Amino acid sequence: MQDHEILVIENIDFRYGARKTLSNLSFSVREGEICGLLGPNGSGKTTLLKCINRILKINSGRITIGGRDLAKLSREEIAGLIAVVPQELNVVFSFTVMQMVLMAGSIRFGLSGTAKRNDHGHALEILEELHIKHLAERRYNELSGGEKQMVLIARALFQKAGILLLDEPTSHLDFKRQYLIMEMIRKITKEKDLTTIMTLHDPNTAGRYCDRLVMLNSGRISHQGVRDKVFHAAYLEALYDMRIDMQRTDTGAEYVLPAFKP
Amino acid sequence: MKSNSAFLTIAILLIVSVVFALTTGQYQMELTTLAKLTALKLSGQQPGDELAMPAMVLWSVRLPRVLMALLAGAALSVGGVVFQGVMRNPLVSPSFLGVTHGAIFGASIAIIFFSKSAFFVESFAFFWAVVAVVLAYAIGNRGLNPITTLVIAGVIVSTFFMAAGSFLKYIADPYEQLPGIVFWTMGGLNNVLWAHVTRAFVIVSSGIAVICLFRGRLNLMALGDEEALSMGVNVKWARVLFMLFGTLIVAAGSSSCGIIMWVDLIVAHMSRLLIGPDHGRLIPFAALLGGVFLLLTDTIVRSMPGGEIPISIVTSFIGAPLLGYLLLKQNHEWKG
Repeated sequence: MQDHEILVIENIDFRYGARKTLSNLSFSVREGEICGLLGPNGSGKTTLLKCINRILKINSGRITIGGRDLAKLSREEIAGLIAVVPQELNVVFSFTVMQMVLMAGSIRFGLSGTAKRNDHGHALEILEELHIKHLAERRYNELSGGEKQMVLIARALFQKAGILLLDEPTSHLDFKRQYLIMEMIRKITKEKDLTTIMTLHDPNTAGRYCDRLVMLNSGRISHQGVRDKVFHAAYLEALYDMRIDMQRTDTGAEYVLPAFKP
Repeated sequence: MKSNSAFLTIAILLIVSVVFALTTGQYQMELTTLAKLTALKLSGQQPGDELAMPAMVLWSVRLPRVLMALLAGAALSVGGVVFQGVMRNPLVSPSFLGVTHGAIFGASIAIIFFSKSAFFVESFAFFWAVVAVVLAYAIGNRGLNPITTLVIAGVIVSTFFMAAGSFLKYIADPYEQLPGIVFWTMGGLNNVLWAHVTRAFVIVSSGIAVICLFRGRLNLMALGDEEALSMGVNVKWARVLFMLFGTLIVAAGSSSCGIIMWVDLIVAHMSRLLIGPDHGRLIPFAALLGGVFLLLTDTIVRSMPGGEIPISIVTSFIGAPLLGYLLLKQNHEWKG
């Protein structure tokens, strides 16, 4: 892990109309880290991801990526720096998996966005790395939730951006696939020198896979920092407004459970 | 269908339907005569007296009509593909954004208040088609879901222009002006001249070329605004570009033949079913299929035993039931 701050967020505010959704947020993410955004429903996690990608424009404050002001970058430049894996993507037209992946390179390919032969080869390599090469000619719409999620990750990798934003990557997956996807995200982040920022619902997933945690409550940061400093029962209790027990497995890994009075 | 075999099939169909259209009609022409006249034309020789009549029919009447059918069919179909892609809805077409009723309104104004000259009628139709789309876009491009509001805005603008068009029909002279308006509304390729073909060719081919140039961005737009933004597309500008060029080719393609209903929707949809949703292949395929479809329909309507009938009657007879069938077949997602 390097010491270089790749993403710096300084005092940002965001309003949907008159409603303030994000209020005076500041934090930074270092290159190579996996940063988890935790918080209850409606706390502003997804809004924050959209602000980082400038799908939504912040009302005040500043976001810099690799020292460059996000507000001054073109859409194409942002696409070269940040790739997004949405929580769910419903596509009206039946594109194949290969077409979906290649589309992520459209802007890189020039005006017409046409892929060349070696781009096909590269896309196939990525599909193979994620163990979904056999899906290449299948229609995206016909895939299962887990397969779709893998295709969206493959697509984000093909975009060749240094920062990966994932919005609740495990929300539609069964227990095993949640684990497989998170292992894959950790693997590609480390192997491809990416920086990954993702919203998560499950604090145990965040505790297990994230290097850094940002806890959001009603659009404000309640706690943030490297995982070991903030993954505490007291902070999570305040975040989710419930009693939480912190426990340890035989191997020493920490996990949390809801605590109910008998 | 595999992409290459689909293109090969449509190319063969194109050649066959052009030959069929050139030899069929009230004046039947033998294939040998067609071959002779083509050979003479290519060698720069004048036909003899015995071939003067078929030469006149072929070069002055039938060929411009055939070419115009191909151009108008291509323009309408590519317009349909573009609008469906930008709006992510396989059941919309340029007419949904007011292009059709704007054009009828414009043509009616020209016929009633100015002149029945083709130039005035076509220019007014084109101008008001663009006005209708700009209005629909200005009203609809807002809110969190601009696609839905845009379609609703299209319905509003269409309804307004439909009412205005009906009013113009009401005040039109029933003997001098009304027949012209009604005929233009129903569409037809019977008044096509070489000048129309040249003008339409320049606008339609350059418009389709521009749309093709940005085909990658159209693919991304078809995934959704946020997706397109995330992958580097300036969505607002891209939408304006595609809708402007989509309207331009539809208006140019249909300005000399009036309103031809349903072709944009049906052909765009059939093309997507046959060749898939990738616009790199879809746009040229839809252009070819649209051309063949309109050419064959036009050949049928002008070969009717009782005389020519307006082409929109036939395209609507095919289109309306087909759309009903597609709606019934549509589930949560679109297979095309």
